[in-house]
Amino acid sequence: MSETSKFTEDILAAARAKAQSIIGEAENQTRQASEEAKTVISREVGEIIQNARADAEAVKRREISEARHRSKLQEQKEKSTILSEVLEKTRNRISDMARDQTKYLPYLTNLIETGVRELGDDVALIHLNQADLSRINISNLEKEIGKQLGKECKIEWSKEPIEALGGAIVSSIDGKARIVNTIDQRFDALEPKLLIEAGKSLFGE
Amino acid sequence: MSGIETVKIIVEAEKQAAEIIQEAENKAAQIRKSIDSLIQDQRREMLGTAREEAATIVKRAEQEGRVDAEGFEKESAEKIRELVTRASTRKNTTAERLANIVLEGEK
Repeated sequence: MSETSKFTEDILAAARAKAQSIIGEAENQTRQASEEAKTVISREVGEIIQNARADAEAVKRREISEARHRSKLQEQKEKSTILSEVLEKTRNRISDMARDQTKYLPYLTNLIETGVRELGDDVALIHLNQADLSRINISNLEKEIGKQLGKECKIEWSKEPIEALGGAIVSSIDGKARIVNTIDQRFDALEPKLLIEAGKSLFGE
Repeated sequence: MSGIETVKIIVEAEKQAAEIIQEAENKAAQIRKSIDSLIQDQRREMLGTAREEAATIVKRAEQEGRVDAEGFEKESAEKIRELVTRASTRKNTTAERLANIVLEGEK
């Protein structure tokens, strides 16, 4: 091989080596870029899956929470129905008990006496319901009230019946002052307590 | 070989060498260019798969949640039925007790 041939061969060999190096470097760079991209993409994938898992947990929690809420509403509805029925039964029971004069008369006497005391007038007008007006011996009742009051108080009896399960309304003669001592008023006033008692008795609350 | 011929041969060799390098640079540029689209494709594919998997996870959770909720509601309905049955047997005694509270102020 001549000197010239050897020289040109060296030039080409150097060029091929440089070409190889250029391509190798490009391949290395792309390999590195690919690895970096994979890392970034994997992180994005991880985030997507992680968010999905969090969403999934939230979805499950929401389903259970809604079911719990629906059940709670259903339970409250059932309880409310039973409580309403029991309050109605209670009214009926009170109505029955009010027919038993041995128990009812002392109770009524006490309600009227309390009303008269609260009114504080010398004359009181007593209003009863139709059933009591019909069956109760007014003069006996008046005597009992007088005994309990232990003082002079004139009692007058209204002939207009009131709408009530029992008990009485005690009013001043002019009707300006009224003490409502009916069973209905007592029932209404006691309703919060009755509901608590009913809850304990019925549901063990 | 004359001096001029020698120079010509060397110039030709230099020219070839330059072409080889140019070709390599073109190829390197092509490699660099192709990696961008390769990465984009890879990204699109991996994210697409991940989104499908994510949708499956959420869908499965919805189904599991519904099943759990149905189970819970069934169990709860049974408890409510028992509560209603038990309470129903106590209605009369409770009404009696409440009536006594109203009429007698019983504690």
